[in-house]
Amino acid sequence: MFFSLDASLFPIVFLIVLAIAALSSIIFLNPNTPLSFIRIHIGLIALPPIIALMALISNDGGIIMGPLHFDSLSWLLAFFVLTISLIVQRYCIHYLNGDKAYRKYFTLLTLTTIADSVAWLSNDLRLLLVCWGATLFGLTLLIGLKKEWQVARNAAKICGCLFALSWGLLTLAIVWLTEVTNHWQLTDVLTASSMAQLDSWEQTSISLLFVVAVVIPAAQWPFQRWLLDSVVAPTPISAVMHAGIVNAGGIILTLFAPLFAGSSVQILLFAFSSISVLIGTGIMLVQVDYKRQLVGSTIAQMGFMLIQCALGAYVAAIIHAVLHGLFKSTLFLQAGSVLDHSQSTVYTKKTLPFKWIFTGSILALLVGIGYWLTSPEEGYQLVSAFMLGWCVFLAWVQLVAFGLGKVGRIFGLFVFVGGGIIYFYIHHLLHNALYETMPKVQTSTIGAILIIFILLLVSIIGLWLTRNRLSKLYTMIYLWLVRLGEPHEEGIESHPSYLKQILSQGGK
Amino acid sequence: MNTTVVKELNIEGNGSTLDFHIHDLVESASKVIVPLGPITNFAARNPWASLEDQPFEQVARRLKETSNVDIYPSDAVLKSAWKKGNIKQEFVELKLQQWLDLQSLNLPRDVAFQFCQVALLQNETSFESLSSTDLESVVKEISQYQLSFPKKTNVQTYSERLERMNGKQLNQLLNGQMIKWSKLYLDESQAAWSMPNREKGFYEAWRQLVSNDPAINRTVRKELKELPMQADQALMAALLGLQIPYLEVQQYLEAHLLALPGWAGMMLWRSQQSNKEENLVTEYLAVRLSLEYAFIKGYLPLPQLEEDEEELFRLLVVAWAKWGNMPTNSWLSLTFEEVEARLTLAHRFDQIVRNRILLEAWEQTYEVQLKKTIGSRASLEQDKAPMAQFAFCIDVRSEPFRRKLEEAGPFETFGTAGFFGLPIETCELGQKHSHPSLPILFKPQFKVNETASAMELKNYQERQQSVNLLNYSFKTMKQSLPSSLLLPEITGPWYSLQTIARSFFPRSTGMLIRKLRKNWLRKPSTELTLQQEQTNKDELPIGFSKEERVFYARQALRMMGLTEHFAPLVVICGHGSHSTNNPYASALDCGACGGASSGFNARVLATLCNMPEVRKALGEEGISIPHDTVFAAAEHLTTSDELQWIYVPNLSSEAKEAFDFIQNKLSKVSEQAVAERLLKLPGIEGNRKNPKAHAQRLGEDWSEVRPEWGLARNATFIIGNRELTKDCHLDGRAFLHNYDWRKDNNGSILENIIAGPVTVAQWINLQYYASTVAPHYYGSGNKTTQTVTAGIGVMQGNASDLLSGLPWQSVMQSDQEIYHEPLRLLVVIEAPTEYVQRILDKNQAFHQKVKNGWIRLASIDSEGYWESWT
Repeated sequence: MFFSLDASLFPIVFLIVLAIAALSSIIFLNPNTPLSFIRIHIGLIALPPIIALMALISNDGGIIMGPLHFDSLSWLLAFFVLTISLIVQRYCIHYLNGDKAYRKYFTLLTLTTIADSVAWLSNDLRLLLVCWGATLFGLTLLIGLKKEWQVARNAAKICGCLFALSWGLLTLAIVWLTEVTNHWQLTDVLTASSMAQLDSWEQTSISLLFVVAVVIPAAQWPFQRWLLDSVVAPTPISAVMHAGIVNAGGIILTLFAPLFAGSSVQILLFAFSSISVLIGTGIMLVQVDYKRQLVGSTIAQMGFMLIQCALGAYVAAIIHAVLHGLFKSTLFLQAGSVLDHSQSTVYTKKTLPFKWIFTGSILALLVGIGYWLTSPEEGYQLVSAFMLGWCVFLAWVQLVAFGLGKVGRIFGLFVFVGGGIIYFYIHHLLHNALYETMPKVQTSTIGAILIIFILLLVSIIGLWLTRNRLSKLYTMIYLWLVRLGEPHEEGIESHPSYLKQILSQGGK
Repeated sequence: MNTTVVKELNIEGNGSTLDFHIHDLVESASKVIVPLGPITNFAARNPWASLEDQPFEQVARRLKETSNVDIYPSDAVLKSAWKKGNIKQEFVELKLQQWLDLQSLNLPRDVAFQFCQVALLQNETSFESLSSTDLESVVKEISQYQLSFPKKTNVQTYSERLERMNGKQLNQLLNGQMIKWSKLYLDESQAAWSMPNREKGFYEAWRQLVSNDPAINRTVRKELKELPMQADQALMAALLGLQIPYLEVQQYLEAHLLALPGWAGMMLWRSQQSNKEENLVTEYLAVRLSLEYAFIKGYLPLPQLEEDEEELFRLLVVAWAKWGNMPTNSWLSLTFEEVEARLTLAHRFDQIVRNRILLEAWEQTYEVQLKKTIGSRASLEQDKAPMAQFAFCIDVRSEPFRRKLEEAGPFETFGTAGFFGLPIETCELGQKHSHPSLPILFKPQFKVNETASAMELKNYQERQQSVNLLNYSFKTMKQSLPSSLLLPEITGPWYSLQTIARSFFPRSTGMLIRKLRKNWLRKPSTELTLQQEQTNKDELPIGFSKEERVFYARQALRMMGLTEHFAPLVVICGHGSHSTNNPYASALDCGACGGASSGFNARVLATLCNMPEVRKALGEEGISIPHDTVFAAAEHLTTSDELQWIYVPNLSSEAKEAFDFIQNKLSKVSEQAVAERLLKLPGIEGNRKNPKAHAQRLGEDWSEVRPEWGLARNATFIIGNRELTKDCHLDGRAFLHNYDWRKDNNGSILENIIAGPVTVAQWINLQYYASTVAPHYYGSGNKTTQTVTAGIGVMQGNASDLLSGLPWQSVMQSDQEIYHEPLRLLVVIEAPTEYVQRILDKNQAFHQKVKNGWIRLASIDSEGYWESWT
């Protein structure tokens, strides 16, 4: 039905259902509303992402409407954030059943994610700042919602401080930018004539402020602590945080892309993000707590997203941010299954004949080169091609070569090919949807070669280290990675004694 | 400090006697904790298993002083039980009188009784707030009397003391360090980069790392550079450095073990698994005390703790004002003896005593209710010969199902421990690991493998491998840097699909995934290795000899009381549960099978009982099983109350008839049993009309934190004929074990029941009890904020002790409302008094449990006379 609508109607319908969703979350907060209202609430918050998806599919060009702009990027982000919110809230119905703050979780989740999605729809920078501030504030409240628990309060405090710093810097950067260009509308600020009004030192300083402001929510080194300590939050809150909030950095950099073109700040971002990728991956490798491994992985993935931004590959960064969000939220939500004892773990490891390694390498090379040739003029394409080839090799060995018997191999091959097709198809879809609206920036080939070099070097060092576990170097790196991944001592309580307090207060 | 003792210790330290001592001390000290195994085989443990030689109250006082843990229910819990009428006033008064009888006080009985009664019932109506000047003057007056009360004697760790004295967060720091090192060392999840030197033992690995640990401040690290090579030497050195008086060493070690009982318990468990790690607890303590000494060195010696007597008097005077209706100024008109008597009473009648009396009254109220329920059952008409007989596990979840089953047809049910007396280790088809499928009290003596023909096995393994490879490829790609960065993009779409399906169609998605998996794996039909096979001396024998087959079949039948009047079909029922995304899944399985489904054991027993040579031998001993009787095995799924057949041999025509009849009735039985159970589960559910679908949803939904209540609210263990409890609505709170004293002249069956099933049930009961009264310490905390660690257990939040008990959601209805009633298990034996007396005389351990309040005992004799033994 909606497909027949005029495209300009989508924004209006979307804003109406968004308002209804917000209202419903507030109605649910009232203790007189029956708990079964939650089912209606879930139905209502399912509407905005559906509208956003329809708008995304039928999108033809951007529309600016008051302080908002609707184009494929903002529709995609709204769809993504609101879908995460929907899934997580659906999950919370049973998961948080019995929690003292049950109703508040839904209200805060709804309002926080709505604020987040509106922030990326904003064309007026004042609205963007307000909404993004509200998102960070909502997230802080969500982390501290178990307010009887000292460690949760401590974590919320840390998050609050770092978020305030990040938001303050972003505000400073934007106000400075608008002061110079005399525009509050994003589309006006980023025109070539506005940009020309910036002195190069101003441009560098503003870029620098932007970069520091975005690396904080992305939990990049040296600001990773808030994400490490916020493992205390309930699982669904972590899912929202890792899926929908940490990737804001990539989005902000994409929105303001013209500002950074050719800026030396890019190199700084590249350096810091590379360090974060290494630290994050290292934390994932040494940690034994499942949720903490996921945190390490998020730090690394966000580092990679910012590297993509630094190289100018904004489309790739957004695709990465979105798919990572869906990936990570699922891993968090199913974090209770890591120890699934019903799954058998029998695994016959066999030595691989050379022919399998050989065919795998050839295949990887072919796929890599083939992918690169689809658009060799893009510098970043090299990085994608390299990583894709690497994945093809590993997947081939693991899925196909290690398969037992004909059945196993065919099954493996089936998964291998199926996975490949889906990967290319999804990328094709997203790429096409985003390509038109995204800033056109020439990606840096030197940067791409550099990143491939780093990845190779680190892989080799890593391999050497795992084979020399008793070396001094391994010990030092190991201990540092453990230290970087551990929570701050204020975030640790040996026994959650707040439960005893609840028990002595409650007991109706 | 007691320097002379330290000096003596020092001299002794040169000899080898000391090593001997320290290991002994560590061993005695480890009695305050219990071994904690990995959560994947969640086995219920009584957290006080090694402390049963002390009375419950004494252990309660000790834990309160050393670790600030209350093991009596809190005031609020007791109050809510009182409000619900679960604690009868008459029993409170009775228990109070009994307590007062034991006190020799120079105080009129009615005054004392009045004071205590008001304190217990908390009627503070007459209480006016005290003027502080009056209070101070009275307290000053009293202080001059030089009264003294027994001092607290329990030892605390120095870091704890320091934290309490001047707020230095050393204890927290120390715990944080221990959590970190323990989890890195114990890791079984195969972190890609593991702790170096782990193979050399905990202490050695730690020693080599700690001096480089950037998380420890530099000056402390310097202290840790020159540590002894051996763990026991390091432990001694730390004890000497801290100047712990020799007589307090054991208590000091205990206090350290109690700081993180979960991690220490895991160390203890590991030390029992292999000789290589047998000194792991010593190593753990060596690490812990060496660290403590390094952290605390600058603060030594610690000043002695002074107890504030005036503060104590103040509290006692206020107590009298509150509960004794005694204005402050009336103290001045009392004689010294009167003051002393009043203060002594108030001091002795502390919170622990009050909560103890209320708990005992609560338990007694339950006992009287149970007596009424059992006594009030409708008179039994003589049943006609049963069409089928079912043997269920004693598990409390069997009770409602058995009741519904018996209502549905001419069926007879029996209760027996779910491992059916088979001391076996089981190994399922295609698995490499075997599972000890028996109570953790016992050691397996046989191994039973599931086998299939070589061809089918190969096929099955290929398919299994193909599924496992998906996980392994994910892991490999995750651990390699270039592919890990692309991994979210490759798997993201698949995960999204799964997430959306699981979110909006939890029931059908879960069922579909399982069905696909099952259809793909195509597990072949299997055989069990019951005939003895040749094995190495040091391995467990596979299968049983002929005598052993007869022995175990006979023992199982005698234990369940099924030795005559066999129906054409006898169904041996194991039980298991099914939940999704639940680290505690195995806590819902059979406790008598070490946290796994007892279906395997059921199948073994049914197969044994069908063997012609077994039947022949049994027949010669008077257990004659008719030729037409067939044994089958099934599994009771406790999440959905379904009965699934796992072994049905060729049926005789009568058995076939019974089988078809059961098949007809089963769906209705399930539906009724589920409907009764679901009423008790909290939830926002629209699907109350279709209980079956609702139960399936609970098992399949990945967001469900209470897939079923498990054994919550368990309260009693009834040993007797089914006639005693038949048609009684026991509300799923009773373990039921069949027992006919008339067939047990020498008491050996009762002895077996007490030694095995009752102990298992008591451990389960106390685990639920402990997780309810101290959810933060003995429970596992809130499920929503847990993280799985090291592949062996869970922690709360960022990091915590390795949590050992049941999670908050398994014992609580909501954050505000309790579900499990913390009552100690009431064992009811249907037998003449002499039988009960005999078992108490014979089984000292059981006697001790009863005497010290770790379990309660009652009996019913043949005339129906109820006697309480507690």
